[in-house]
Amino acid sequence: MYADGGIYPEEIRRIIKMKKLLAVLLAALMLVPFAFACTGTTFDIALITDKGNIDDKSFNQGAWEGVKAYADAHKISNKYYKPEDANDDAYLAAIELAVDSGAKIVVCPGYLFEPAVFTAQTKYPNVKFIILDGTPHNPDYTEFNTAKNTASVMYAEEQSGYLAGYAAVMDGYRKLGFMGGMAVPAVQAFGYGYLQGIEAAAAELKLAEGDIQVKYHYTGDFAETDGNKATAAAMYQSGVEIIFACGGSVGKSVMAAAAEANGKVIGVDVDQRYDSDTVVTSATKGLAASVQAVLKSIYETKDFESTYGGKTTYFNAANEGVGLPTSVIGDAKGDAFDRFNTFDKAAYDAVFAQLVSGEIAPIRTFSIENAEGHATEAELTSNLKLTITKIECIR
Amino acid sequence: MPGTLNCPLIDRHIGRKERCGLENNIIEMLHITKEFPGIVANDDITLTIRKGEIHALLGENGAGKSTLMSVLFGLYNPEQGEIRMNGQAVNISNPNDATALGIGMVHQHFKLVECFTVLENIILGVEPAKAGFLRIEEARAKVMSLSEKYGLQIDPDARIEDISVGMQQRTEILKMLYRDNDVLIFDEPTAVLTPQEITELMEIIRSFAAEGKSILFISHKLNEIMAVADRCTVLRKGKCVGTVDVKAVTPEELSRMMVGRDVQLKVEKSKAHPGGVILDVQKLSVPSKTHKGKRSVKDVSFKVHSGEIVCIAGIDGNGQTELISALTGLERASAGSIGLCGNDITRASIRRRSKLGMSHIPEDRHKHGLVLDFSLADNMVLQRYWQPEFERGGFIRRAKIREYSDELIKKYDVRSGEGSDSIVRSMSGGNQQKAIVAREMDREHSLLVAVQPTRGLDVGAIEYIHNCIVRERDGGAAVLLISFELDEVMNLADRILVMHGGEIVGELDPERTNVREVGLYMAGSKRDDSAETEAMA
Amino acid sequence: MNSNDRGVKKLLLGILPSLAAIAIGLIFGFIVMLAAAPANALSGFGTVLTRGFTRMADVLFYATPIIMTGLSVGFAYRMGLFNIGASGQYTMGMFCAMYAAFMLPMPRPINWIVCCLAAIAGGALWGAIPGIFKALLNINEVITSIMFNYIGMYIVDELVRNNAVMYVAVKARTNYIPENVQLPSIGGGGSSLNIGTIIAIVLAVLLFIVLFKTTFGYELRATGFNKFAAKYAGMNSRRNIILTMIIAGALAGLGGALYILSPSSIQGASMTYEPINVIAEEGFNGIAVALLGCSHPIGIVFSAIFVSFIQRGGTAAVAYKPEIIDVMIAFIIYFSAFAMFVRELVLGKRRRKRAGNAKPEGNITADEIDAPMIELDIDKEE
Repeated sequence: MYADGGIYPEEIRRIIKMKKLLAVLLAALMLVPFAFACTGTTFDIALITDKGNIDDKSFNQGAWEGVKAYADAHKISNKYYKPEDANDDAYLAAIELAVDSGAKIVVCPGYLFEPAVFTAQTKYPNVKFIILDGTPHNPDYTEFNTAKNTASVMYAEEQSGYLAGYAAVMDGYRKLGFMGGMAVPAVQAFGYGYLQGIEAAAAELKLAEGDIQVKYHYTGDFAETDGNKATAAAMYQSGVEIIFACGGSVGKSVMAAAAEANGKVIGVDVDQRYDSDTVVTSATKGLAASVQAVLKSIYETKDFESTYGGKTTYFNAANEGVGLPTSVIGDAKGDAFDRFNTFDKAAYDAVFAQLVSGEIAPIRTFSIENAEGHATEAELTSNLKLTITKIECIR
Repeated sequence: MPGTLNCPLIDRHIGRKERCGLENNIIEMLHITKEFPGIVANDDITLTIRKGEIHALLGENGAGKSTLMSVLFGLYNPEQGEIRMNGQAVNISNPNDATALGIGMVHQHFKLVECFTVLENIILGVEPAKAGFLRIEEARAKVMSLSEKYGLQIDPDARIEDISVGMQQRTEILKMLYRDNDVLIFDEPTAVLTPQEITELMEIIRSFAAEGKSILFISHKLNEIMAVADRCTVLRKGKCVGTVDVKAVTPEELSRMMVGRDVQLKVEKSKAHPGGVILDVQKLSVPSKTHKGKRSVKDVSFKVHSGEIVCIAGIDGNGQTELISALTGLERASAGSIGLCGNDITRASIRRRSKLGMSHIPEDRHKHGLVLDFSLADNMVLQRYWQPEFERGGFIRRAKIREYSDELIKKYDVRSGEGSDSIVRSMSGGNQQKAIVAREMDREHSLLVAVQPTRGLDVGAIEYIHNCIVRERDGGAAVLLISFELDEVMNLADRILVMHGGEIVGELDPERTNVREVGLYMAGSKRDDSAETEAMA
Repeated sequence: MNSNDRGVKKLLLGILPSLAAIAIGLIFGFIVMLAAAPANALSGFGTVLTRGFTRMADVLFYATPIIMTGLSVGFAYRMGLFNIGASGQYTMGMFCAMYAAFMLPMPRPINWIVCCLAAIAGGALWGAIPGIFKALLNINEVITSIMFNYIGMYIVDELVRNNAVMYVAVKARTNYIPENVQLPSIGGGGSSLNIGTIIAIVLAVLLFIVLFKTTFGYELRATGFNKFAAKYAGMNSRRNIILTMIIAGALAGLGGALYILSPSSIQGASMTYEPINVIAEEGFNGIAVALLGCSHPIGIVFSAIFVSFIQRGGTAAVAYKPEIIDVMIAFIIYFSAFAMFVRELVLGKRRRKRAGNAKPEGNITADEIDAPMIELDIDKEE
């Protein structure tokens, strides 16, 4: 603007003209990098993220922490890759990019990678694949194949669920809930272990028959929905004190309901205490520990072929594959048990040791009549040998 | 910037004038040449302005007047030539320099901030401040005293968006005075004013000159220059034709200098021979857009016959625009009826009106009349592209359109760089208007509605369009002309209807009336109650 | 100058602003890389600019949906309508295609054609609604189409989740589309390139013809340049607005179908959709593509390929974290979308020059010189 109060287009244009000149100069500069294109930087260990990012507080993050911890400690180059799209093709393309960039080991967190790894493991026989929580198979499930360069890592969810259920009852909870996603083997195992842990604690506390009540429910999805939140809210309404939310984003619905009803939640897969104050503890899978164990077999003990390669390995308490969280991220002195009333690290260590030693061996699966995998009260009670715990299945 | 307010520079410069002694020239623009890619807009132009004179700069649209003034005001830097002030060479590279030298300009398109008040606009850029605080009362006092001294009526606290064009112009003038400018440039200042306002402005300009301020008055209207200017410099096609003493020349001589040939200032036309009724408007009312519940046009009735030119005169804003919008279908009438050749078109679509024989030269050629980014050829068939002549099976027949457009261009002498392929935006205003006139006159029609068909055009183009309109009439078409220029109305009309306040307040015969009488009707101080009935006859 | 020369010159002038905009975008992208990790910037930037060449099949495959959304946005923009709703139309079209693919068994090749037609219908419906609101009630299409992005996405997600055939709840995504409904592949093994890319390009050419050779296109462009003049000329703007939005919606909807029906490079798999309540980004990339392509159908094809090219190249710049690459790509696309602006600058200058040529006598007025610049800022609303 000028002193006469006018604004003149000519002036604006003059400025733009100068900027344009600058742009042309820079454009010329820009051609330089062509000369340097494609110089090789390689990364030995690759992690492919699925839908979320490496800070998703779930599979990506857990697995990445394992990769990072091991690779940094042993000075191995590493990198994570984000697929361009969330489908099998994009997962495969990301694996291919990782291999092109020098990956010797590709870590794939989650069963969504099953078809991609199925294809990739034969295409790249010299690359080792670690797939967590899944076994490679073709898209229509007609062919399963874990090649010898692939380690399929699964987790003893029943042990993790057992610890959660045991801890909850020992801590004084008497009316408990379970909200699983779909009744797939992993979710079923969490649920069965949970009930067995509850029963064990009740027996230890010498409670009377019927003192413990559990509402048991499969939501049929893994989504955050208003329906799931309503179900959780109804459970809290009926007196349930704590719900084991076991099904991906179902947890968000449960936590939302808990926050409103002043209820408590047990998280799943990874430590979910950071998502909500209502989360007392979480039935976790030792993602980082299992990744590190497999990496160790490759780099140190060099017995990958005989230990993990070509088969499915269940990680359990004995190899730190499952457990409740024992430390708080970012707070070395933090107490991961601070949200319990009385249950503490010592009590946890005691029961954990029993799992490690095999003294306690929770049942993982049993046959059920229902095609969708929904067990009845009777099936649960008899197969899991529940006496004190009274179960009510909610459809 | 507050420093410019009391800039001592100016006084010093003026003080030097005795030493220079060059006929008291305050400004000398010597051998100015300004080129734009491909053309020379100012070719070796020399212009001198004496202290205390009113100097007119005359030329057709595109003669280089605005470019020359932009050079003086620092908006363009000339390739050659120098500017002297009081005999001293000065460098004006931007408007700040010009302001510092005491040069002020009222632009043709005002440069005001719409949402600011009048006072805020006047002090914008030179706000009196003390320790960072605005001293608005000091400014107000100065503005009000200037306003009183020169009779420049303003409401200092009204927002620009709410005030009339006339007051906006007075605001611009006060901006210059507030900055103690001594050289005042007026770029086409009368284009937006009513006859009464024009007279007032002339008075004010004279009083400035009497005070010793130097005025540069840019115009293409001969009568204004004759009325107010002392000397006049004429530009034509970028070159200086000469500087003359206004008292020593006739308007005819000036116009010859400007156009380069003899121009008929009076339209030659024979007596009208009205035929049957073409347009029949009955009790037409149009709701107001700005004032809810009010009407811009109130129960207007009139007829237009074939073979006659009916002019609607009036000051802008008295319902003419709304009346035409309703007639042409751009807006809906709320009551009354419109008949065209015996068909009721009150609620007809624009396309139907067009099919029934209505041609329309719109008031705003950029808003309504043209698609500026289309080629000239595409604009020539704006209402006709769908006719079988130009369309087959949904596809445009480019070759046919081109052929037709070339024909029109030739017939109506529309000039452009690339003929039919020219993008209309790149054409001069006069040729854009010619293109519209060509299109509307060449269409089959029985009624021509022409709104300000010569607005902003130079003498040559005006002459041409006036002749076209008379030819229309003689060819048997009915012509309804809306104009805010009284000269044009007096020149062209076979009948004059005067609009005031949304009503037709009088019907006059141009042979038996004069500008003064029409002006009285326009101002609303005279009213002919029988006008309506007469108009209907 | 003969007409051929002039054609070439006109073409160059049309493309130059886009190229300049791309250059500006690339500079900013490079600056981002420099700021993130100076040592790798040169090689990384080289990868971004060259790696796409080794993955041309992928470049074209990923370009296809954004060609379609780009055409959708660009076509509407020609009419002066800003179709922000391409995203919702895309999702709607994708859903309709999926629904037909899963629920209506038909012999090949009728099946995939019907799926595409279903997508066109779905997208057209989703485009038509904002169009009708605009035409009849004068409600700004930007607002309605934004709202319809959400409405469409939530409806689709809900419908998908509640359909046991289409949805695989365990994986929180849709089932694999049966292989015999997928679009015919043209890329050979290892790529998803399919006939969809050809369909998209053919449609772009078709749109070019509609825009520049038909009376409908004439009306549409006239309205887009100056709706007041279009009204003055007696054009039926209501009908044209609705028709334009229907076509724009149909284009975006078909884009959804061309994506979801693409064959997979993994035997037995297919493209999948995740109903996770997120608006499809293809719709927004379509806006950038349309701007970069100056809303010209052929320009949009090239700009979509460019955007896809940069994205593929960026993915391969492994020396950088994916997030940095995302930022860089966003910068490149964002600044490239300034093409329109740069175009105005360049053409504005040229127009001035032409204004000079227009009058051989050699006159020019300041008013005319300023015209393009001033006009640029004015978007009069009634």
